[in-house]
Amino acid sequence: MKEELERLFAEALEKLKGAVEERQVAEIKAEFLGKKGKITALLRGLVNISQEQRPVMGCLANEIKISLEEKIKESLEVIRERKRKEYLLHESLDITLPGRRVPIGRKHPITEVCNEIIGIFLGLGFQISEGPEVELDYYNFEALNIPKDHPARDMHDTFYISDEVLLRTHTSPVQIRVMEKQSPPIQIIAPGKAFRCDSDVSHTPMFHQVEGLMVGDNITFGDLKGILTIFVHQMFGDKTRLRFRPSFFPFTEPSAEVDMQCVICRGKGCRVCSFSGWLEILGSGMVDPEVFKIVGYNPNEITGFAFGLGIERVAMLKYGINDIRMFFENDMRFLGQF
Amino acid sequence: MKASFNWLREYVDIDFAPDELGEDLTMAGFEVESISKVDANLNNVVVGKIMSLKPHPNADKLSLCQVSTGGHLYSVVCGAANMISGDYVALALEGALLPNGVKIKNTRIRGELSQGMMCSEEELKIGRDSQRILILQDDGLELGKDIASALNLEDYIFEINITPNRPDCLSIIGIAREIASITGKILKIPKIEYREGNEKIDKLTSVEIHDPELCPRYSASLINDVTIGLSPFWMRRRLESAGIRPISNVVDVTNYVLMEFGQPLHAFDFDLLSERRIVVQRADDGDIFTSLDGMERHLFSDTLMICDGEKPVAIGGIMGGLNSEVSENTSNVLIESAYFNPTNIRKTSKKLGLQTEASYRFERGVDYGGVIRALNRATQLVLDFCGGKTAKGIVDQYPSPVFPKEISLSVNKTNKILGTSLKKMKVKRHLKGIELDVKDLDRDKVIVKIPSFRMDLHREVDLIEEVARLDGYNNIPTTTPVVRVNTAGKNPAQVSQDRAKDILTSIGYYEVVNYSFISPLSVALLNLDDEHPYKRFISIKNPLREDQSIMRTTLIPGLLNTMKTNVYNKNLNLKLFELGTVFYSVEHEKLPKEKKMLSALATGLKYGESWSFPGEGIDFYDIKGSLENLFEGLNVMNFNFLPTPDIPYLHPGKSSIIMVDNTEIGTVGEVRSEVLEGYELSDTVYVFELDFDLMVKHTFSDKKIKPLSKYPPIYRDIALIVDESVQFKDIYNAINKLSNKLVDNIQVFDVYRGRSVANGKKSLAYRIKYQSYERTLTDKEVNNIHEKLVSNLVEKTGARIRE
Ligand SMILES: [Zn+2]
Repeated sequence: MKEELERLFAEALEKLKGAVEERQVAEIKAEFLGKKGKITALLRGLVNISQEQRPVMGCLANEIKISLEEKIKESLEVIRERKRKEYLLHESLDITLPGRRVPIGRKHPITEVCNEIIGIFLGLGFQISEGPEVELDYYNFEALNIPKDHPARDMHDTFYISDEVLLRTHTSPVQIRVMEKQSPPIQIIAPGKAFRCDSDVSHTPMFHQVEGLMVGDNITFGDLKGILTIFVHQMFGDKTRLRFRPSFFPFTEPSAEVDMQCVICRGKGCRVCSFSGWLEILGSGMVDPEVFKIVGYNPNEITGFAFGLGIERVAMLKYGINDIRMFFENDMRFLGQF
Repeated sequence: MKASFNWLREYVDIDFAPDELGEDLTMAGFEVESISKVDANLNNVVVGKIMSLKPHPNADKLSLCQVSTGGHLYSVVCGAANMISGDYVALALEGALLPNGVKIKNTRIRGELSQGMMCSEEELKIGRDSQRILILQDDGLELGKDIASALNLEDYIFEINITPNRPDCLSIIGIAREIASITGKILKIPKIEYREGNEKIDKLTSVEIHDPELCPRYSASLINDVTIGLSPFWMRRRLESAGIRPISNVVDVTNYVLMEFGQPLHAFDFDLLSERRIVVQRADDGDIFTSLDGMERHLFSDTLMICDGEKPVAIGGIMGGLNSEVSENTSNVLIESAYFNPTNIRKTSKKLGLQTEASYRFERGVDYGGVIRALNRATQLVLDFCGGKTAKGIVDQYPSPVFPKEISLSVNKTNKILGTSLKKMKVKRHLKGIELDVKDLDRDKVIVKIPSFRMDLHREVDLIEEVARLDGYNNIPTTTPVVRVNTAGKNPAQVSQDRAKDILTSIGYYEVVNYSFISPLSVALLNLDDEHPYKRFISIKNPLREDQSIMRTTLIPGLLNTMKTNVYNKNLNLKLFELGTVFYSVEHEKLPKEKKMLSALATGLKYGESWSFPGEGIDFYDIKGSLENLFEGLNVMNFNFLPTPDIPYLHPGKSSIIMVDNTEIGTVGEVRSEVLEGYELSDTVYVFELDFDLMVKHTFSDKKIKPLSKYPPIYRDIALIVDESVQFKDIYNAINKLSNKLVDNIQVFDVYRGRSVANGKKSLAYRIKYQSYERTLTDKEVNNIHEKLVSNLVEKTGARIRE
C-alpha cells in the first residue's frame, strides 16, 4: 500500500514534468486525484486494511495527496507564468496607428462665436429676442428714424422684395418689435441674420449680427460704455483696451463706434488693423428720442442704449480668417478646423 | 471725402503731424480711413529764373536760355515756346531722374551745350500740360530751392468718412472748422472782395422760381468778357487732390469753391441762355434732356429743371446741360448758387441713376446761409483767373428766408443722459468752440442759436451729442447699470436648437450655414408640382445674382449645393446639417411666413476612410438612426415613420414621412438620381428635412423615470419567416398586441434572406424580454407565456417559425 502510494506519487510527478499546458495539468489531476482517480481509488481501499495500520496509512495517504495537490498548483503556476511572459514577449501592437474614432461633427464657427457672445450677455442679465429676417420697410428704416429718401439709407445696400418689404439690413428692427410689445425696463439681445447687396473679401450679401437693447429709467451713456467694456473684456481678454468715438446712426443719439485694441498686433499696428492699432468692433449709442416716440415711450422719462456687432467680424478676428466668404462656402476642410 | 493737408492749412494753423491730426479727427467723429502721402520724388529739380533767351543758332524750333539758380547760371536748350525772359521755371539739373524715367545729363543739342531741362507739368507728373513748360508764379520764390518744397508738392491726402448728418464737413473749410475747434486755433475764412461793374444785373438778366418748395433759394452773378483757358497750377493741383478733374478756368473755379465751401455751383454760357434769363420749374413726365456727360435723361414731373426763356438748361442741383455748357468760345458766364430741396434731389438722383458731387451735397443739405458767400467767392476767383468784369450786384431769389433756430439745452439733462457731471461753464465752452451762439437761460439751461451750416442740430439731444463729442467720449465715466435678475435667458425653442446641434454634431454631422437666398432653378430641380409648399417662394427684386434671387423654402437645395462644393474639393464622405429659416409667401400678407427647418444630408462612407472600420456606404438606416437619436435627445416621444411613394425628389421605395403625435413634421429618404444629376452630383445621397418649429411643440418636457426591477429578466428569441412585403413594424405591432404585461421589451436583432429562406421571403428575428417588477420569474412560467405568444402570432400573421 505504501509502496503503491509512493509509486503513484512518483508517476504523477513524472507526468507533471512533461505537462506544458494547463489542460494537461488538469488531466493529470483528474487521473490521480479526481473522483475516479488512481490515488482516490487507493484511498478508498483504506477500509480494507487493518485497524492499527489504518491511521498511519491514512496519514501518509493524506500527506501524499496534499503534496501532490501542491505540486500541481506549482506546476500550474509555472505554466501560467511562462504563458504570461510569452504573452508579453510575443504579442505587440503598432500603437502608432490611429485610434478607432467615432466620427463626430462640428458646429459652424458662426454658431460657436454667437453662442459665446450670447453666453456673455445672458450672464449680464440679457434675454434673447428674435424678429423676422424678411422685414417691413417700416421696422427696418422708418421706425428707426430713417425716413424714405434719407441719405442715411445709403449706408444700407438693401435687397427689396417689394416697395414695402425687404430683407432686413441689420438686426435693429428687433428693437422696435420688442419695444412695441413690452414696456420698460427692457434688456435684450437679438442675434440673427442680416442682408445687404454687397459682395467682396470683407462683405457677403448675408451676415450675422447681435443686436442689444437696454432701456430703463436711468440708463446712461456711461452704462453703455460699462456693458460693452465688460463684453469686450470677456470676449477678447481683460487687457484689451477699447475706445469710443463719435459716429452717426439715425436711431441713436449720441452714437458711438467702438474700437478695440488690435488683437493681432496688440496695438502696434499691422495689416489687419490698417496699421492703426485699432479694430472697429461695435456700433452703439443712446436710443434716439424719436425712436422712443415711435414706439410710444416718453423720451423724457426713459433712456436707453442700443448696440450691434457683426458676428463674422468677431469670428474672423478670433480664428484669423481673412476672407469672410469662407463662412458660407461650407468647405469641410474649413468646417473641420473648429 | 478727400482733404489735402496743405489745403486745410490755408484755413487753420496745424502744428502737429498728419497722423496725429488723423487720430484727432477720428476721435472727433470724422473717421480718417487713410492718409496717403503725396511724394514729389523730384531730386535735383530746382527753382530757376530765365535770365536771357535767344533762338538756337542751328534749329528753328529750339531756343537757348540762360537760367539762374541764384548761385549758378546754366545754359539750357528748350523746345517749348511759352516762356519769356524773367520767368520762373522748374529746372531739372544733371542727375535728376524724372517720374517719366528720363535721366537728366549734360549734353549737346545741335552743337549747343544744354545743362539741364526746363520741365512741363506732365514731365514732373504734377499736372497734365505737356505742351508748355511750367511757369511758376513769382510770389517770393527762392532761386535754387528744391521744387517740391517751393511748390508745396509734398502733401498728405486724408480720406475721411463723413457721416450723412454732417454735410457741412463735405468741404475743406468745414473740416478746418472742426480742426480749429479741436486745436483751439482760429478758423481763417478767405477774404472775399472784388470790384463790381457798372451795369445793374437786373437790366441784364432775371431769375424766376416757379417752385419755391423744391428750390427755396436761387442766386446768380454775371461776368462778361472772360477768357477761357487753363486755371492756375495750384488750383488744378488742389482739385486733383480732391479727386476732381480740372477742365477749364471757369469750371475749375466753380469746383474749387464747391470743395472749399461745400456749396455746389454751376456756370452757364450766358449767351446760350435764350432770353438771357433763368426760370426754375418742374419738368413734364417723359421730357428728355441731354446732360453735360452727353447722356439722354428721361425726366419726371418732380424733376426740377433750370430753364432759360424757352428750354431746360440744367437738371437742378444735379448736372448741367450740354446745351449751355461753358466752352472755349464762351465769353459771358452766369454763375448759379442755389439751395435745393434735399429730399427731392435725392429722389431725382435715384430715379435718374445720376449721383454727382453736387447732388451728394444737396441731398444732405447745404448751408442755405452760405449760398451768397460761395457765389461771391466764385465771382472773385473768375475775375482773378479768367478776367472779365461783373455786372453790378447779384440776383438773389429767396422767397421765404429761413431764420436761425434756437434750442434750449439743460445741463442737468445732459449729465443725466451721459452719466457725467459736467459744469455749465464747460458745456458752454464746448458749444462756443464750434461757432454756436450760447446764452444763459437760467441756472440750468442755456439757449443755443444754431448757425445755418449746422442744420443737423435741431433738438436738445443733438446738442447733448455735441457736448459728449467735444468733451471726448473717452472722458465719460464708465459705469455699470443696475441689472434686473432675469428668469430665463433662452426660451424652450432656443434651448431645443442648441440641443439639436449638440446631438447632431455628436453623431458625426457638421453644421453648415448657407445663404437664405437660392436659385429658382435649384427648386425647379426638385420636380415639385405647383401646389407644393416649396414652390411658394418670394423673389428678390434686386438680387446680386440670378442664383441668389429667391428666398429659400427648403434647406435641401443648399445642402446639395454644399455637397457639390465639397465633392469638387474631393470631400466625398459627408454628413451635414443646417438649422435655418425658410420663407413662404402667404396670400394677402405683406410678410412671408418664416419658420425654422432642420435638414441634413448624408453620403459616402459610413465611417469615412479608415484602416479599421469597414468601408461601408451610408444607407437609409443610418440617416433614420440619426433622426431617432435626435428625437430621443430632444424628448420627441411618439414619432413614427410612414412609407410614402409621393415625395417627388425622393426614391419612392426608400423614403418616408415622419409623424409625431399624428402630425407630419418632415421627410427622410434617398434623393432620386435625376435630381442629383440636375445638381451635377452622383453617388447615393440621403436627406431629411424637419419642420423644427412644429417638432419643438411635440417635445415632451415632463419626463419621469421608470423604476428599475430588482428581479432578473428572462429573454426568449423568436424567428419568423414572412413574405417580403410584410414589414418589421407589422410583426412588432402584432407581438405588442398579443403580449401579456410581463413583456417588457421587444427588439429586432436579425433580418435575414438567403439560404434556408425561400425566395420572396425573409426571416425576422425578435428578442423578447420578460420582466416582472414584483418577483423572480421562473423558466417554466415564461416558457408557457412565450409558447402561447408564438402560437398566437403564427395564427394571426400567417408567419412561419424558422427552426
Ligand atoms: Zn493690428
